[in-house]
Amino acid sequence: MAVIERINELESEALAAVSGAGSTGDLESVRVRYLGRSAELTEIKKGIGTLPVDERKQVGGAANRVSRSLEAAIGSRSQDLAGGEREKRLREEAVDVTLPGVPYPKGSLHPTLRIIDDVVDFFVGLGYRIAEGPEVETDYYNFTALNIPPEHPARTMQDTFFLDDGLVLRTHTSPVQIRTMLSQEPPVYVVCPGRTYRRDSDPTHTPMFNQIEGLAVDHGLSLAHLKGTLAAMARHTFGEGAVTRLRPSYFQFTEPSVEMDVSCFVCGGADQNCKVCKGAGWLEMGGAGMVDPAVLSEVGYDPEEFTGFAFGFGPDRMAMVKYGVPDLRLFFEGDLRFLRQF
Amino acid sequence: MRVPLSWLREYVDFDLSVDELVKAISLHSQEVDGIHRLGVLDGEVVVGEVVEFGPHPNADRLSVAKVDLGGQEVQIVAGAPNPYPGARVPVVLPGSVMADGTKLRKAKLRGLESNGMMMSERELGISNDHSGILLLDESYEVGRQVAEYFPVGETVLELDVNPNRPDLWGMIGVARELAAILGTDFRIPDISFETGGPPTADYGLRVEAEDLCPRYDLRRVSNISPGGRAPLEMRRRIFAAGMRPINAIVDISNFTMLETGQPNHVFDASRVREGIVVRRAKPAEKMKLLDGTTRDLDTDMLVIADEERGLVIAGVMGAEDAEVGNETTDVLIEVATFAGQSIFGTSARLALRTDASGRNERGLDPNMVPFARDRVASLLAEHAGGTIASDTLSHYPEPVDSWEAPLRLGRAELLLGIPVERDEAVGKLEALGCGVQAEDGRISASIPTFRRDLRREADLIEEVGRLFGLGRVPEELPKTSLSGGLTPAQQKVRTLRRLLADLGLAEAITYPFGPDRWRRDLSLESGHEPPTLANPLSAQAREMRSMLLPGLLDAAARNEAFGVESGAIFEVGRVFEARPLPEGKRDAALHFRLTGELNQPGTDAEDGASSFMGVEENQRVGGVLTGAIQPGGWNAPVRRAGFFEAKGIVERLVPGASFSPEVRPFLHPGRSAVVRAGDAAAGWVGELHPETAEKFDLSGGPVAAFELDLAFCDPDPAPRFQPFTNVPAVSRDLAVVVDSGVPAGDMLAAVGKTGSTMLAGARVFDVYEGAQVPEGKKSVALRFAFRGEETLTDEAVNGELDRISLCLRESFGAEVRGD
Repeated sequence: MAVIERINELESEALAAVSGAGSTGDLESVRVRYLGRSAELTEIKKGIGTLPVDERKQVGGAANRVSRSLEAAIGSRSQDLAGGEREKRLREEAVDVTLPGVPYPKGSLHPTLRIIDDVVDFFVGLGYRIAEGPEVETDYYNFTALNIPPEHPARTMQDTFFLDDGLVLRTHTSPVQIRTMLSQEPPVYVVCPGRTYRRDSDPTHTPMFNQIEGLAVDHGLSLAHLKGTLAAMARHTFGEGAVTRLRPSYFQFTEPSVEMDVSCFVCGGADQNCKVCKGAGWLEMGGAGMVDPAVLSEVGYDPEEFTGFAFGFGPDRMAMVKYGVPDLRLFFEGDLRFLRQF
Repeated sequence: MRVPLSWLREYVDFDLSVDELVKAISLHSQEVDGIHRLGVLDGEVVVGEVVEFGPHPNADRLSVAKVDLGGQEVQIVAGAPNPYPGARVPVVLPGSVMADGTKLRKAKLRGLESNGMMMSERELGISNDHSGILLLDESYEVGRQVAEYFPVGETVLELDVNPNRPDLWGMIGVARELAAILGTDFRIPDISFETGGPPTADYGLRVEAEDLCPRYDLRRVSNISPGGRAPLEMRRRIFAAGMRPINAIVDISNFTMLETGQPNHVFDASRVREGIVVRRAKPAEKMKLLDGTTRDLDTDMLVIADEERGLVIAGVMGAEDAEVGNETTDVLIEVATFAGQSIFGTSARLALRTDASGRNERGLDPNMVPFARDRVASLLAEHAGGTIASDTLSHYPEPVDSWEAPLRLGRAELLLGIPVERDEAVGKLEALGCGVQAEDGRISASIPTFRRDLRREADLIEEVGRLFGLGRVPEELPKTSLSGGLTPAQQKVRTLRRLLADLGLAEAITYPFGPDRWRRDLSLESGHEPPTLANPLSAQAREMRSMLLPGLLDAAARNEAFGVESGAIFEVGRVFEARPLPEGKRDAALHFRLTGELNQPGTDAEDGASSFMGVEENQRVGGVLTGAIQPGGWNAPVRRAGFFEAKGIVERLVPGASFSPEVRPFLHPGRSAVVRAGDAAAGWVGELHPETAEKFDLSGGPVAAFELDLAFCDPDPAPRFQPFTNVPAVSRDLAVVVDSGVPAGDMLAAVGKTGSTMLAGARVFDVYEGAQVPEGKKSVALRFAFRGEETLTDEAVNGELDRISLCLRESFGAEVRGD
């Protein structure tokens, strides 16, 4: 039967064209040519109705078989071609991955304030609040209320900046403790971070520096609570292995007074030539003590009912130690070469 | 306080390494600031006798000696010329380690072998004398170790003595302290002497300024052999303790001060006319001191004088005039107690600190006086051949006796957090010199007068705690049920700082005080005087800042000078303004500042306190942007500092802020704006005036800056849910031509007020001035988003756009472009 032969011819012709198509575009032309609306095979299918009844089945069957065979061939060829073309496109789209990315801005936080934020967060976790107070302070809050009366040598030792009569730049954040105690009843648990000022200028002293002080007043607080608090803070800041020790010291507003040392987080005391602890094995962290009963009385607390502890650190120094900064003056010069490192 | 350990051993026995000793002292008493070494650390120093001494054949400045070391003769090359055959000299042998850590070796010096070194006083740590070899007298036996006569090496501990412990400014006090720490005994030297010679009472004593001088004692020692030197061991100790040996009398005086902590003064009696007068300085009185300076005294200063002239600034330094010298044979020993604050003030006003003033200013124990007085006298008798007068003159009208201080064991346990056992506590207090009575849980301690710091229970608890050892104290955490946290305002500052850092700014901390140049260079109004420091470190740091800007500009200029032209910095800090005191309230304000008391009838405490401060502090955030604040990349454009870069930051800090032009003298008049949050002025933003930039040495192009009151910043406003529909928005553009001066912000505001229910957003996406639009006009391209409950028809959107066009035409004369 001529029609069936023709269908078979078309099949071989079309299959050859499918394998010969070099792109998905060529393949689409092949599909249109052999399977499109005006393709010969389509015409044949359309004309089936005009064929004698006994031929219809045979021709229809052959045409459908070839249609399916061509569609399958085109589909498979199409996948091959598309895959190849996508690969080619991806190859062409390759970039130099060593080129820098789009520059998103990167700023920095001041190293001292990073330390302060971290220490404050630690104490917040223990139930402390942050107390703040003025930097221009009265003589009374900065000294007298802290058991440092007029003419006391400790006043001169603190190298105070004076303003108008009776006003000073606070030499420590301790007046914030006084203001806090005057404004509330125990229990008190506060940390007081802030800028402080002393009339001093050399590589290890700047006329402005930062302090973080802490104060707790409650029923039954002891030196053990102070030690436990400081030790926990040291572990938070310097790692779980940090060991804390207390040494006797002297401050006007605490009795007993102590200094707190923490084991060197670099060498742990094992390196005689350690640059951080200078071979001592210990780093001086700050002063602390049990709040002097005279101070408690001064703010109207009953020292027989309440006891308290206070402590103070220099976050600038902590930052120097932690980040390896050799010169304190760098902290306050606004030098971008310095600030951008944090 | 420098503590030579060999000296300390004279009063207390201890069997500890230096490290152990340092640890014991620093963990139980005072901080040890340093360890100094003198002389020979390790090795042998032998008494030798010079057999031959002559010039080195190959070197002009060297000599060569043959030295008998007791049966063994060695050759030594020396630098000093003073030895001679027959002289006895200390010889340190090869292998010995010197104080600086060097190890002495056999050496060949200019061809001759040298087997050891003859030593100067400096090399032995006796004094700074390095002019020649130390020559020993006949009592030193050839071949014996020098260490059998005096220590050839010394370790000196430098104690950082706390101001409440003047008793530790003397060796005996340190020995008592160490004995208490170690639980052992200590010794005080016995003083015994014979008396004779002319009486002290040949001279008078009159204390006029009793308030400044609780005790004043004199004792005469006559018949002193003039011009003598103190024994070598005494000189060595004085030197090791940090003072300079001078002559027998001065050295004995200093030795006694170092031993007892009690300063004293020795007058050449022949120069004292009639008697000693203790008085305040006279108006305009001057004194030429031992150090060669002449000082103007004021009438608050205490002077030791005779009937004619001042001899000593009491407790500080003596006059040249009454100095003991090489011809002195008859002396008056002064040992006195002065009011510490007076000495402290005098020393501070004269900027003159001495070993004596440092001790006197702490306020000393008057009962220490007789021991120190007689110790000086007996040493003068022993080492300078003096004869001690049988009488003393003493002014001590109000003798100080010991006092009682209580200690409840329960209280000690509460404060220290450790068990306090009674007998142990009693033992510790007794070791400190207290007389102790104990009954049940209560202790009563009778405090020795040299421990003026022990007055109260808390003071005794401290003593018990440190002597028990703070290492015993366990680590506990308080059991509080309080919830900690940051206040919203504190949290806001945190968020704001992090936001600025994330936006690319570097956080700085700058000084809040600066030069008056700041106000001039910013052309700020005069008459608005800032608070100033009365004693600034320099005139460059005198005025408190009223803005953050100048400090940040100085930092930017500094950065530019160091080659960092580009960058952005910010600071969160306080600014200060003087607030005049309420009329007629200066005295009340002063009283408040000094006492904390608001004794103002009818005044509300809070109001009073803040109005009496005279200074108002406000928290600000400020930033300065210079150069390429965001560097370009191969695929990203550079972003340079300018008004809109700074404004963009401000918009993040103060959401919903409005901006309108406002002239500030330091800002570009056409590129600056006041920032408003609602109706309140929150701060400003702008480019720096070129003239201001120049004054601050900023030459690298536009500088943009902002400064905001922290109270108006809200970097992370509380979110509130707004419902939205899934109908997509329709976007339409509208380009209009308006006069150049029409603010785009006003146009957007006007559009917002048309009351369109469909308008979901409006923004300016282009502004153009130039050839395509007429002179004096600009084209503003706006993009609108419309959204409805259902998909909007073109008709509806166009109608809305027409309404907007009409509004812009009516309000701003805007002509729609491209129609």
